[in-house]
Amino acid sequence: MKRRFAAAFGIAATLVLANVASGADAPSPTPRPAPVAAPSAPPLRSLVVALDLGSPTLQAGVVRGREVILARGYEVALAKLLAKRLGVRVERFVHVPTMNRLLAAGGASWHVAFGALERHRRAGGPGLTEPYLTTDVALILRRGLSRPRGLSDLRGAILCAVRGSTGAAAIPRLGSTARHLYVVGPERLRTVVRTGACDAALVPALEVGRFAGRHGAGLGPVAGRIRRGEGLGASIPPGTGLELAAVNRELARLRRDGTLGRLAHTWLGLDPAGLRVLR
Amino acid sequence: MRAGARPPLAFESGAGAADRRLVAGTLRRTLNSRPVRTLFVVLAALALAAPAAAGAPREVWFLQRAQPVPVTRTVPGMPALVRSLLAGPTRRERAEGLRSAIPGGTALRDLRIARQIVTVDLAARFVGGRDDASLRSRVGQLVRTLRAVPGVRGVRVRIEGGVPIGLFPGYDLRRVVREPAADPRAPGLRETQQLLADLGFMAPTGVTGQESDETATAVLAFEKWHGLPRDGVLDTDVTSLLLRAARPEPVRRRSGDRVEIHLGRQVALQVVGNRVARVFHISSGAGGVTPSGSFRVYRKERMSWSVPFSSWMPWASYFTGGIAMHEYWPVPTYPASHGCVRMMARDAPLMYAFAGHGTPVDVLWERA
Repeated sequence: MKRRFAAAFGIAATLVLANVASGADAPSPTPRPAPVAAPSAPPLRSLVVALDLGSPTLQAGVVRGREVILARGYEVALAKLLAKRLGVRVERFVHVPTMNRLLAAGGASWHVAFGALERHRRAGGPGLTEPYLTTDVALILRRGLSRPRGLSDLRGAILCAVRGSTGAAAIPRLGSTARHLYVVGPERLRTVVRTGACDAALVPALEVGRFAGRHGAGLGPVAGRIRRGEGLGASIPPGTGLELAAVNRELARLRRDGTLGRLAHTWLGLDPAGLRVLR
Repeated sequence: MRAGARPPLAFESGAGAADRRLVAGTLRRTLNSRPVRTLFVVLAALALAAPAAAGAPREVWFLQRAQPVPVTRTVPGMPALVRSLLAGPTRRERAEGLRSAIPGGTALRDLRIARQIVTVDLAARFVGGRDDASLRSRVGQLVRTLRAVPGVRGVRVRIEGGVPIGLFPGYDLRRVVREPAADPRAPGLRETQQLLADLGFMAPTGVTGQESDETATAVLAFEKWHGLPRDGVLDTDVTSLLLRAARPEPVRRRSGDRVEIHLGRQVALQVVGNRVARVFHISSGAGGVTPSGSFRVYRKERMSWSVPFSSWMPWASYFTGGIAMHEYWPVPTYPASHGCVRMMARDAPLMYAFAGHGTPVDVLWERA
């Protein structure tokens, strides 16, 4: 009995060693099954839109379970508009935080998510459409100042921004001679521009319409925007039946016929794309 | 003695005790009779129910000229209190200028209290509209009303059973709201001082949150510049104007550091590159004896002695003849000096340091 077991063990060990010696990349004796082409997604009839709520102008609503009711904002309106143009209906909005969207690049439970940045796609997220909104930084002046022709005219001016905002990040790029003032929130920012403690505020272009419109009487004009080279797009995971190219086509059409601009005026107060680029 | 009757106590004796026993027995029988018992039950129920039905006086917060104001309502419980808020001001209160930011017809879906936190579930009408101020005010009204109830430590707001996100500026309703958001239209003392400093009427070091002479002087300069009654009191007229005001602009346009003295308004401006750095409360010559025109500082004396008036004039910067900007007490709200420009003890050293030899001084006459 013992001898028979030792013989079996020896044969098994020899086989294992022979397998290791042959190398890991050696072709397996049984051929791998050929990759099966993914079945084409059925035509889309209704859309599940992912939102990451929080911005009053872009995406806001009431979260009940995972579903978003009473959804409103620029991106909500854009989602409905795009769906209409694509001939589908928006079935529901769901609340999906941005990080979960990145992880859901494979099997997402939604068809399209709005408010994605290029860096999200680079981080391995789903396919991203052309940007529909710029995330540039806008410049709003105090009353009595003339519009600068370029960034060089801002030398010597007192610039201000909300601490930690994209506006604050843009200040060091405007030249070392500009004095600056960092404040704690948009209300304080509005005060320092209105009172003249600051000459020009740097505000995210998405918020400048609301910022200027709400307090317009005490502030000067919006002088222009400083490019950051990034924009907000919609991310579309593969295999959902929604074609990235078709969405891009419709977005381009919406931009051409001025619909995107009107949408921006309605929800953001002004169209950031219409602001002069300051160089 | 009847069987079962109580034996007489030690102090009970004779006929008197028998009478008392008779009266007590009659009374007991009367009280135990059905109609009287029923009457007692009804009276007790009424006594218990009366306070509950009438309720306790509670504060319900509405708005008057966009500022939150409380009115008293006597309501039987928390749901009734919220319904009273949702119903809005009465006709009489409306006539007095009270308003509510909460849309009319907003229904209360549910109200629960747990661990001194009130969870209020409201109908979708509550989120109607896109006016930020209105959305902020309606949550403020709700929180103020519920927080005014003794024992309530916070409010959780739900809409149609869900969590509102991004709908109410200034509030994160994912969390329990403990205090209403600060209203930028109703600044406190510190915020007011900050506004005065931002506008150049006060040094940033004066922003302390405490009442001070420096604040009163800054308010006085602000009132002078804007043509308000010159009393140095921080009243609603001053506050409302502070919330709209912009930094004063110099009248003359020219480069470099200079001083503008406005005789009509009785203020002096420190101007740095066409931007007003500070506004000072001053008192110039009575009867218009301070000459107007463009001058330059030509003499400076840390302690100057006035020969004609036998008086010390600290921090003196002479700009024409014997006319100087200097420290003096008092500095009234009207022209009171013999021709010089009087300044407060706090401000005079700052002006002395700013106005070096050759600094232009424009003395302007314009009505306040």
